[in-house]
Amino acid sequence: MAKVTVDGREVEVPASANALEACRAAGVDVPHFCYHPALSIVGQCRMCMVEVEGVPKIQASCTVPVRDGMVIKANTEKALAARNATMEFLLINHPLDCPICDQAGECKLQDNAVAGGLPVSRTSEPRRQFPGYDRTEIGPHVIADMTRCIQCTRCIRFCEEIAETSELTFIERGGHTIVWTHEGKPLDNDLSACAADVCPVGALTTKEFRFRKRVWWLDKTRSICDGCEIGCSLSIEHRDGVVYRYTPRVQPAVNDYWLCDYGRFRAEDLNARDFTRPEIRVAGGAAQRRQTNWGEALDAVKVAIEKAKEASAAGASGAGRGISSNVLVIGSANLTTEEAWLLATLCKDSLKVNAPEFAVDEGPRRRIRNKKDGWLYGTEAAPNSRGCEAAGLSRAKEGGASPLSLLLSKKSSSFPSVSVLYVADAHFSEKCDDPAFVAELRKASVLIVHARKRNALTDAADIVLPVASLAGVEGTFVNAKGRVQRVDLAILAPPIVRTNLEIFLHLGARYGACDTQWTARDVFDRMKASVPGYAGLDWDADAVVGNPPSISPAAAYDALGLNKDADVEVFTRPSVAAPDRKP
Amino acid sequence: MSGLDTIPPVLLARLGKADPRALDGYVADGGYASWKKVLAGAKTGEWTPAKLTDMVKASGLRGRGGAGFPCGLKWTFVPAKDKRGDKPVYLLCNADESEPGTFKDRLLIEQDPHQILEGMMLASFALEVKHAYVYIRGEMVHGAEILNAAVAEAHAKGFLGTDILGSGVDLTITIHRGAGAYICGEETALIESLEGKRGHPRIKPPFPAVSGVWGSPTVVNNVETLCCVKHIVDRGADWFKGVGRNEKNTGPKLYAVSGHVEKPGVYEAPIGIPWEQLLAMAGGVRGGRKLKAVIPGGSSAPILTAAEIAGIPMDFDGIAAAKSMFGSAAIIVMDETTDIPKAVTNIAKFYAHESCGQCTPCREGTPWLLKMLRRIVNGEGKKTDLDLLLQISNQMGNGMTICVFADAAIAPVISGITKFRGEFEAYIEKSKNKTFDQEAPGDLTNAIANRQAAGIHS
Amino acid sequence: MSGGANVPVAEQAGNPRAGEHGALSCGKPLSFSRETRAELDRLLTRYPTKQAALLPALWLAQREWGWISREAVDHVASLLDLSSAFVWGVVTFYTMYNRAPVGKHLIQVCTSISCHLNGAEEVFHECKKRLGGLETGETSKDGKYTVIEVECLAQCDKAPAVMVNDDDYAVITKDNLDAFLKGLG
Repeated sequence: MAKVTVDGREVEVPASANALEACRAAGVDVPHFCYHPALSIVGQCRMCMVEVEGVPKIQASCTVPVRDGMVIKANTEKALAARNATMEFLLINHPLDCPICDQAGECKLQDNAVAGGLPVSRTSEPRRQFPGYDRTEIGPHVIADMTRCIQCTRCIRFCEEIAETSELTFIERGGHTIVWTHEGKPLDNDLSACAADVCPVGALTTKEFRFRKRVWWLDKTRSICDGCEIGCSLSIEHRDGVVYRYTPRVQPAVNDYWLCDYGRFRAEDLNARDFTRPEIRVAGGAAQRRQTNWGEALDAVKVAIEKAKEASAAGASGAGRGISSNVLVIGSANLTTEEAWLLATLCKDSLKVNAPEFAVDEGPRRRIRNKKDGWLYGTEAAPNSRGCEAAGLSRAKEGGASPLSLLLSKKSSSFPSVSVLYVADAHFSEKCDDPAFVAELRKASVLIVHARKRNALTDAADIVLPVASLAGVEGTFVNAKGRVQRVDLAILAPPIVRTNLEIFLHLGARYGACDTQWTARDVFDRMKASVPGYAGLDWDADAVVGNPPSISPAAAYDALGLNKDADVEVFTRPSVAAPDRKP
Repeated sequence: MSGLDTIPPVLLARLGKADPRALDGYVADGGYASWKKVLAGAKTGEWTPAKLTDMVKASGLRGRGGAGFPCGLKWTFVPAKDKRGDKPVYLLCNADESEPGTFKDRLLIEQDPHQILEGMMLASFALEVKHAYVYIRGEMVHGAEILNAAVAEAHAKGFLGTDILGSGVDLTITIHRGAGAYICGEETALIESLEGKRGHPRIKPPFPAVSGVWGSPTVVNNVETLCCVKHIVDRGADWFKGVGRNEKNTGPKLYAVSGHVEKPGVYEAPIGIPWEQLLAMAGGVRGGRKLKAVIPGGSSAPILTAAEIAGIPMDFDGIAAAKSMFGSAAIIVMDETTDIPKAVTNIAKFYAHESCGQCTPCREGTPWLLKMLRRIVNGEGKKTDLDLLLQISNQMGNGMTICVFADAAIAPVISGITKFRGEFEAYIEKSKNKTFDQEAPGDLTNAIANRQAAGIHS
Repeated sequence: MSGGANVPVAEQAGNPRAGEHGALSCGKPLSFSRETRAELDRLLTRYPTKQAALLPALWLAQREWGWISREAVDHVASLLDLSSAFVWGVVTFYTMYNRAPVGKHLIQVCTSISCHLNGAEEVFHECKKRLGGLETGETSKDGKYTVIEVECLAQCDKAPAVMVNDDDYAVITKDNLDAFLKGLG
């Protein structure tokens, strides 16, 4: 550790830190462009100029290693003049197109110009243009506009050091320097959109988000990616009930500053919805389902379950041990642990049926990188298989003997013809769109599903209970490393739609098992003693929320500016409380 | 006896010999004697790396590439064997002679390559280098061929290779050709380029002596510097110290004189001879015209007026005292007919073309200066331009960038405008673009103050 | 819901930028001849990393094909385990790698300060004019001449200095320009 004084404030930082990081640790804001905590130091934007006592020349603070007793003066006249000079140089060729630039509002050049830039422009020379190098797709997700580039090389370093694919390079030199790909080799890697994230200006923007919403209108809510079991921290950015994008949320233990393209562009899917009300097929076998209210739908669910249990008790000799195998419940690794626990508990204590099973698709391999662990890999197509298992759901496996296991093992016609099959939710596997798979499940007399979007399984179902998307739930997931991570409520689902948790609560209430007013947090507190991995955890603990470790300057420092860096928004405001809604 | 007395050529002694590039002729003229002497002494312990380094230190040799840093001292920055672990030490001979006005190294390369190789061999011995590289600029295609042939011949005759002349010393030399980039003459850019990258100067520290090419301790020396090493070992440190104006400016020096002189060329003389003597060697100002200005150390040195350079000793400290730079001793002479604004614009064009582009002030500043200067000489200047040029220049240099390229780029602009302001103003007087006069002045002080007073500036 | 569809995004193919800053295609995949490959292998023994052989490898490519095409970049990149983008970045940093075919005589006129003081700009413009009004960098219709302006050739004592392909020419003035051009053949 080294003791450093920044503008009179003493701060202790690791000996490996640089002067810019010391300034940040001391709470002194030094503007910068090319510095990024997760990328190598190049010191070339020359924005973070400060004075260091005993060194005659002005210094780019990111290039100065700290030493014990160093005195940094970040806001002297000389330092401010140097930073103003750099700003002036950056702006002489930068287009004055903030009103039509998609980066506006989250642009470091704009921020720094507003915070301390020059009030007038002294140049009357024509501004540099790069015809043919503006508004061009340089990859499947990224659009480049070189007239706006400030040549900080963050994107180049990202592709070299993090993605390890090196698709981007400086081309030409001096005032003609641009960042581009090689002809025929587009910017196309697992994390390509992060190149646009690290871009401090509007030179690289993501195609999917471009011109959809001004960023200052967006609300941000902490969440966890549900694309695979790695569980990357992200924020859902939304407005008026519409999700516009995901952005990575700093999490040193998992995804650092990054988010893979696959996960990131799942955001749009949150806006998709086919079911807005419960639907029910009238007894007697009408071809069409009709929309109904929650009271009728849940009553029908209970009646079906109870009838099935009576039938099995009556039909089976020697029955009466209380557990009916005539009712089968299939859960999903998309459920939060709270939902899974509540479901498992209801099955055991109230419905008195076998423990729910669940299955996870083995998806294509996903990966993400952080500084400490390098690449992390994920292969499951759902976020919470570990939490579901911990909560008491049993995992079906190929080769296993349970009904779902046998079905997965493609032993056709092995699935039992039960009276009631309850599936929460209908998106637990891609196979739910496979007619043969669905036909097996449809052997049940009554098929009840939770669903948001239509698929072959929902088409076959007798009762469809509409559920919220990831943006509309609260709860926790357990990722591949066993981290319990919280998902916050971003936007309320449409008025009649419920979360899985709410449906379980209302079903449970019909058995007198629970109170419909319980929140995810209430369930969390009830279950944590009995769910492995949850003992002693607190709903609001930093680790659960995903806040980087809180700050004494020195301790925070291990996360090296992670909690203070504005490169990726970090949340300080409390989560949105779930409004009081009754089904 | 004075150190400035005329001496027979040392560095250029073999100029004009029949086939000066052949190894046999070089040996016949006493070449490789020092290398043999040192190798033989290495076995007996008479010659050690430390002894050779001390000798170079004692000679007072200052780097001939431009910065004038004491050569022996530079060598001592390489960490000792026990501190550098198993990392090899590399010697890089900087033959990327690209500074406008400089052409002395080309002469040495093309006319006496073995002299350079012997200097490299001796320096490699002092630094315990096993593989040395010559980074030669891309344009010197034939120079690279000549050096390659010389290396091959030295290998064949046993002056390079393993266990050279039975001494146990190993040394390989590789000639590496650049591809057209002035900045690669900057030592860390040279290192990057040798590693196969764009020639972007590195942040220092770490300095090359500690972590240079491939992360190993590296010494970069200029061609002429290495030739001097050979002569120091040939004739002794005292001899070298005895040549030159004073003990801080020692040895024979190559002066590359170009521009408006009768006989442009490379002239060898004790370092620190007076300006007038050097000008006379080059035949005086062309056509008997009057001298107007001199750039005394390559295009990056501030311009000196005829009055300023009168009587100045042509060495590092003499020219520094006149507030310019000795640099690579490239003397560009301008007679009374010279259009200084056009000359400054020409130099600005060079720097705008050669900026590597990584640091903002240089990448943006050099083309800005050029655009303004071009406007002025094209008859579209405005009154505020000159002050703005000076202000922009002042905010590019002095630590604002990673390397000193920006400082080099602004020196001719600042000195040109300051010393020949009238010529620039004459262009502006004739400006076609009268409306330019109406614009606000370039000084920001009041504007910033007003903004701050209004609470806008945070 | 993607707003991106509203943006006139240039198509990758047929973008005018190819050839300006981007690498031109020569239309077919390239690989080094056996001799050149052997020479590169020899060069690789001179450096501790493969990457260090990039500049020499590009020189070999230019010798073999006359200029550095997109395919040449891809080939060199694959030989040295580098990304094509990185190699192109290096190619464009240096001025001596030709990014398009050039004439039989690549005439490089120095216009830096010492040559400037001796009338180099005039020589440069005259040279283009006398070769049929060529633009800078344009190759004459017969494929014989390309004229470009270069920075200091370290021949300031022979100003104005000119380099043609690999050869140096001293003191080329307006007066001896015709003889010089004729001498090139």
